[in-house]
Amino acid sequence: MTKFAPRLTARLIHQFLESSAALHPEQIAVVHQGEAVSYRELNWRSNRFAHWLIDNGIAPGDRVPFIMENGIDYVTVYYGILKAGAVAVPLSTDLKPASLRPLLEELAPSAFVATSRFERLLKATDYPWPLLVIGNPKLAWQALSVQVAALDEIVRTPSSESDTPKLDLDANRLASIIYTSGSTGKPKGVMLSHRNIVDNANAICDYLELTARDIQMAVLPFFYVMGKSLLNTHVAAGGRVVINNKFAYPAAVVQEMATAEVTGFSGVPSTYAYLLHRSPLAKYRDRLPALRYCSQAGGHMSAHIKQELLRILPSHTRLFIMYGATEAAARLTYLPPEHIRVKMESIGIAIPGVTMKVLDKQGNNLPTGQVGEIVGAGSNIMMGYWKNPEATAKALDAHGYHTGDIGYCDAEGFFYLVGRRDNQLKIKGHRINPQEVEDALAASGLVIESVVLGIPDDLQSYRLAALAVPRSECCHQQKIRHLLSEMLPTYKIPHEIKFCRNLPMNANGKIDRQKCLAIMTANPKQL
Amino acid sequence: MAAHKEKVRAFIIDNFMFGSADGLTDETSFLDEGIIDSTGILELVDFLEQEFGIQIEDEELVPENLDSITNVHTFIENKLSA
Repeated sequence: MTKFAPRLTARLIHQFLESSAALHPEQIAVVHQGEAVSYRELNWRSNRFAHWLIDNGIAPGDRVPFIMENGIDYVTVYYGILKAGAVAVPLSTDLKPASLRPLLEELAPSAFVATSRFERLLKATDYPWPLLVIGNPKLAWQALSVQVAALDEIVRTPSSESDTPKLDLDANRLASIIYTSGSTGKPKGVMLSHRNIVDNANAICDYLELTARDIQMAVLPFFYVMGKSLLNTHVAAGGRVVINNKFAYPAAVVQEMATAEVTGFSGVPSTYAYLLHRSPLAKYRDRLPALRYCSQAGGHMSAHIKQELLRILPSHTRLFIMYGATEAAARLTYLPPEHIRVKMESIGIAIPGVTMKVLDKQGNNLPTGQVGEIVGAGSNIMMGYWKNPEATAKALDAHGYHTGDIGYCDAEGFFYLVGRRDNQLKIKGHRINPQEVEDALAASGLVIESVVLGIPDDLQSYRLAALAVPRSECCHQQKIRHLLSEMLPTYKIPHEIKFCRNLPMNANGKIDRQKCLAIMTANPKQL
Repeated sequence: MAAHKEKVRAFIIDNFMFGSADGLTDETSFLDEGIIDSTGILELVDFLEQEFGIQIEDEELVPENLDSITNVHTFIENKLSA
């Protein structure tokens, strides 16, 4: 167990909340737009929601999907579903009716929860709705014979004590299904048990040295596994989560980092690309005395951005580079910050409780320095994919979880990624790793983020192309190609660079390469 | 000036609302209504700088200055008269 925080032992995810409510009842758990809720109040609200679900026939194992933007109600609903023994299924807030319906069909939910903003989405989705819980419902549902309840009435009024429902739940039972979009095919529902998430959260608390004094600024959606991990780890430690959903206005986020005295900030690569591009972060260097660390996960971040962050962040702020997958309940490795300057491109070492290996195609362990597939094992590895035994059999075997990432381990046990198994390109006889070209594009200083792809051409071969978000409108591909020519051999310079406003993301906040390819190959008039 | 406000409105409608002003009032929050995302804000800032010849500081990228037509209009008028 942890070396740092006085935590009670949790077997089940919602026991993190119950333990913190017992140890620090008055401590503020979550802050959002001026509203603050204590651990005691949050626990009572979640208990009320759990009792309401049970009273309305929700049984252990039933799936309860929910579509909600980050907020105090999100946290209440998430722990409430778990306390009722049901399976929490957080859904992306970007879903449209056509993509929501197939998920509902395979989940066969017993209830569905949404904030008011999504009421129209539900109405537009042709599905025989089960029990619906909507923040503050406004549309006419009676004609459709759908039972609709108001979340506000269930959890917010009146505030009164509520006990945890008495259920005998096993730590190995299914707790949550989190959808992830692979590089191909339909989204896969990653099944995580209570143990998967509890063990991973405890390991993260240990290496980040989280305590009840920690205050995290959450700009990442909680429906991402990384966002959910930020929530669970801080609730486990009895810390505080400050929710800010206005990352589009970076100055507002940086200001709140200072006024809320946050000790931790976490982002995916694009979060940091935008913060460095246009925010007053550098000017706030002296106004962030509490900022203990920043962490990054959710894909490879270029060395250029890491170096810029190390230059701009306060000298006492440590930068944690982390690596994981939804299938690993979030985290597999982290780079201890003291190594970042000498091992800048490394994803670090296995987190406590995880074993990492590099395997060849036959499943043999590869020696130091040799490139193979990265495979992780530990009590955080998923139970499998929901109703998808074929995909489960491909991802899981006796060695553990096959990440699909290609990499190697150095003599000191630090892991490095060189690319995705699916993304390696072979162009005119040259093997090209898109990551290397994307890093060069970042180093050019002219693009905020980019993706490098192989486009099929008429000669049954591929040509190299890039889709990039330019820093300014007056950015020309010739200028970028010229700068790349100083960094890369000619065959690694994209034949074509197309600009777009932003790169499409998949459900886990990673760049969706299939959609990027579709944009690259689309007729310009269709864009 | 009313003409400035109309230029801002036209830019928002043409660039982020596919040319349809459906439901857009002077007070509509660009972010809450899903009209503009992170990159959209940067495009809006580029537009304002070029169109009105003003310099927008990184610290000024806050909703109070940019999150509705009224907010943007007040912000640029203050900039222009400064």
